[in-house]
Amino acid sequence: MSGICQTRLIEERKQWRRDHPYGFFARPTKTADGTLDLMNWQAGIPGKTGTDWEHGIYKLTISFPEEYPTKPPKCKFTPPLFHPNVYPTGTVCLSIVNADEDWKPGITLKQILLGIQDLLDDPNPLSPAQADAYNLFRKNREMYQKRVRQQAKENIPQ
Amino acid sequence: MENPGLFTAIHRPGDKSPSQVDFVVRTPADLVRIQRQEAAEICNVFGMSMAHATMMLRTMRWNREKLIERYIDDAERVLRDAGIADIETDAARPTVLPLRHQLCEICFSNEPNVPMYALACDHAFCVECYNEYLSHKIQDEGLSARIQCPGTRCPNVVDEPSVEMLAHPVDYVKFQRLLLRSFVDENQVMKWCPAPGCEYAVECHTPQSALDSTVPTVKCRCGHEFCFGCGYANHQPCICNLTQLWLRKCMDDSETSTWISVNTKECSRCRSIIEKNGGCNHMTCRKCSYEFCWVCMGPWAEHGRTWYHCNRYGEQSSQAARDSQEKSRSSLKRYLHYYNRYANHEQSARLDHQLYLKTEKRMESMQQKSDLSWIEVQFLRDAVDTLVECRMTLKWTYALAFYLEPGNLTTLFEDNQCDLEMATEQLSGLLERPLERKSIPALRQQILDKTAYVASRRQILLDDTAEGLADGRWRFNMSLIN
Repeated sequence: MSGICQTRLIEERKQWRRDHPYGFFARPTKTADGTLDLMNWQAGIPGKTGTDWEHGIYKLTISFPEEYPTKPPKCKFTPPLFHPNVYPTGTVCLSIVNADEDWKPGITLKQILLGIQDLLDDPNPLSPAQADAYNLFRKNREMYQKRVRQQAKENIPQ
Repeated sequence: MENPGLFTAIHRPGDKSPSQVDFVVRTPADLVRIQRQEAAEICNVFGMSMAHATMMLRTMRWNREKLIERYIDDAERVLRDAGIADIETDAARPTVLPLRHQLCEICFSNEPNVPMYALACDHAFCVECYNEYLSHKIQDEGLSARIQCPGTRCPNVVDEPSVEMLAHPVDYVKFQRLLLRSFVDENQVMKWCPAPGCEYAVECHTPQSALDSTVPTVKCRCGHEFCFGCGYANHQPCICNLTQLWLRKCMDDSETSTWISVNTKECSRCRSIIEKNGGCNHMTCRKCSYEFCWVCMGPWAEHGRTWYHCNRYGEQSSQAARDSQEKSRSSLKRYLHYYNRYANHEQSARLDHQLYLKTEKRMESMQQKSDLSWIEVQFLRDAVDTLVECRMTLKWTYALAFYLEPGNLTTLFEDNQCDLEMATEQLSGLLERPLERKSIPALRQQILDKTAYVASRRQILLDDTAEGLADGRWRFNMSLIN
């Protein structure tokens, strides 16, 4: 792990613990021997109140590359989410976490997670990532909303 | 018709014939100088720093007039597009902020006494973080003119003086190379010479829209002649469009299949492709031993005792089949006529190198066998230069002729072509002639005359075609083009 990557991730963790948006969680995973793995995080994003996504908390893994923060982390919903901009593997398609688009080293974890939360109820029809959700979203909005609400129910934390 | 007096007429530099365009070869140093001049003009008009003027010119693809117009119209928008935060700051002298005065958003470190840097947008980062960021953008992403401030959603561009100060020298060298590359690539009147290892660029003001009526051929200082329109090696007098079509056609295997369909038939049992090169109509397939009739393709057994004659020949269906075969055969024949001549010249061009080596030897032996001096035998090299040029021109006249509609003009063109072809072959023959002490002076005169003649014929052909293109005189066979 390079110097900048390490210190930055420690700092990200400190900042997150000091202050993070309501309903979210994000923490480094633990390796087999019980030490913290700063390169791989577990996070949860709550659906916004008043939307079909409400009440659900959607889990994702965030893996940071060696070149972070020069390169963006990879954000992946586990299990894969029903959403037009989420690939069948669960990977999120969003410009701010794309190295060739709007990623900047200054973007924080908090900004990424808030950005993904915004994306939930405001999908970008110009960059579809899965056929299933995209087709329903385009052709049958009612059915789409039903599926989203169903998914929210399945993701209510116990 | 041979007129050695024309010799002087062809070698006049500076005098432009209809088939030539104006161009200038630019060295990397020239390119840097031109960029400075262009930026200085903008500085004079608007009184901003050189770095800012350069950034704005880049967004306008180095179109100075357009920039001036746009800037007067809506300065704010131009600045925003160029990624300039504050035109008042002096980009020429970036200064490192002495000590840490705020959190670096890259490493999140707040260790004191660390030098930081910020563009006019005030997004401050450690100098070291900046260095790593720039290295990634330059080396890994190959960016130069569009590297943005690392701040979240900040559209401002890191200007050249800042990069110079912050980046590692190795990265800065590559940055400058990329900038130079983008200057030529973005510039509509510039092109890099495509010759391997050549670092010159050529400036030519023939617009892309004129490529249907002119073939802008330029010659780099490295000796490579190429078309400014498409970058392909000199293809005068054929225009870019037709050149691409022709090359695609030649590369395309469809002609091979046409040939196969015209010249071969399949064995009706095992489908092996068979070319009949003689003998009677009683065929026996080598592969599967099937016996059949070449004319009607039916089994030979049915033909009984009429050994060399097929009764079914007169039937209407076989008549139609023969007609269609006739048609495709003639179009193939036409293509092959042009292609063979084109390929012949291309083949000769591939042997250029050997020809030059051979000529070198002949020049030596000529000096030994006669009392001609080194200077006096140089005519041989000139003759070979001319020969090579003529072959290249001839090669492309065949590509052009393939697409020409038959007519009086085309006949004239082909007469010119034929004349040049003949003279070129004669010159080639003279160059091959054995050297004998007695005949050297006469041979020298013959070669000199012939060289002058073919050079002038070539120029006439090129000029006439160029004028024809400019006047829209040529008629192309649209069925071959679409």
